[in-house]
Amino acid sequence: MASRAVQQGFKQVKPILSTNHHEAKRRVLNLYKAWYRQIPYVVKDFDVPISVKMGREKVREMFNKNKHITDIRTIDLLVIKGQMELVETAQIWKQRPHIMKYFEDTVNERPADFLGKFYDGHDP
Amino acid sequence: MASRLCRAIRPIASFARKQLFQQPAVAQLAVQRRFETTDAVPPPETRPTVRPHDPLVKKQLTDFGQYVAECLPRFVQRVDVTYLDELEIMIHPDGVIPVLTFLKDHTNAQFLCITDIAGLDVPTREFRFEIVYNLLSLRYNQRVLVKTYTDELTPIDSTCEVFAGSNWYEREIWDMFGVFFANHPDLRRILTDYGFEGHPFRKDFPLSGYVEVRYDDEVKRVVVEPIELTQEFRKFEYSTPWETFPTYRRIEAGEDEAVPPETTEPKQ
Repeated sequence: MASRAVQQGFKQVKPILSTNHHEAKRRVLNLYKAWYRQIPYVVKDFDVPISVKMGREKVREMFNKNKHITDIRTIDLLVIKGQMELVETAQIWKQRPHIMKYFEDTVNERPADFLGKFYDGHDP
Repeated sequence: MASRLCRAIRPIASFARKQLFQQPAVAQLAVQRRFETTDAVPPPETRPTVRPHDPLVKKQLTDFGQYVAECLPRFVQRVDVTYLDELEIMIHPDGVIPVLTFLKDHTNAQFLCITDIAGLDVPTREFRFEIVYNLLSLRYNQRVLVKTYTDELTPIDSTCEVFAGSNWYEREIWDMFGVFFANHPDLRRILTDYGFEGHPFRKDFPLSGYVEVRYDDEVKRVVVEPIELTQEFRKFEYSTPWETFPTYRRIEAGEDEAVPPETTEPKQ
């Protein structure tokens, strides 16, 4: 049992980008800064009914959604995906609905009370 | 003088030529066939539904596979010849570039063309994704499958520096399975829509997806909303898609027999 734990401790994995937590954190912060600086251009280019402040809050919310993740390779993969999204946004490959998708303004909130769930057809 | 010299040299030259031809042909794919003789030739397969089997082709493939395994013992883990006479080379994920470079540049292989890169997801395995490189050698009219494996987080070296054609194939694998290719020149989505989340060819991706897309007349744009189905919409059809005997068609389709099979036949 102990030997297996030791083996797992020494198990080498192939890094995606970062080799330690500090480096991964730097990458996340860099990506956050890039998104933060891009938001005014996004609001201007896509003509969305969103203020710069709302956009930056949304970016912060999206980053905070993954704040519990500690695995370095998972962080790297998420950073890579975020970077790809940023490029798609900055190059205007995306369109207005793709930007508005983050805000989910047409999604109805799920009812919490018993009758509401019943009317909605969900499980109680 | 000159003629005498020629007479002296010619036997040596012919001897040397003979020697050259009698060298053992090392795992040659096409050339080998000309020199081999078989004493008892089995009759050729004439039945249309049975695949003709050539033991010579199989032997050549086996020899070639063995040769590759001996040349690259560090990376090649297993070599198989399938029942369809296709060579499969299973390699360690670190050896993708060396093995593919070997197969491309070696004189007796010359697999210059990458036909496809396929992915496979088996969630029960430790390394759940299998990546299959499909190579074609126009020189020897041979195909080979190079198989390797990875999981969600382990990057695989991109083969774009070996085969320029693998660029889009690897983007497709990235998009559909989420396998990351290191050192890829232009890794981004290729099939899914911008903003799409998830990798659809993974086995844990639901058949209905996570979101539905519709046009909303109030906001005058296409909206994306989360979809929720308590039960997966899956239509299980157990009957065979091929033509079966007409008398048993209804029974195999799992229907209740409303009409006995005899009455459905045309009256004579």
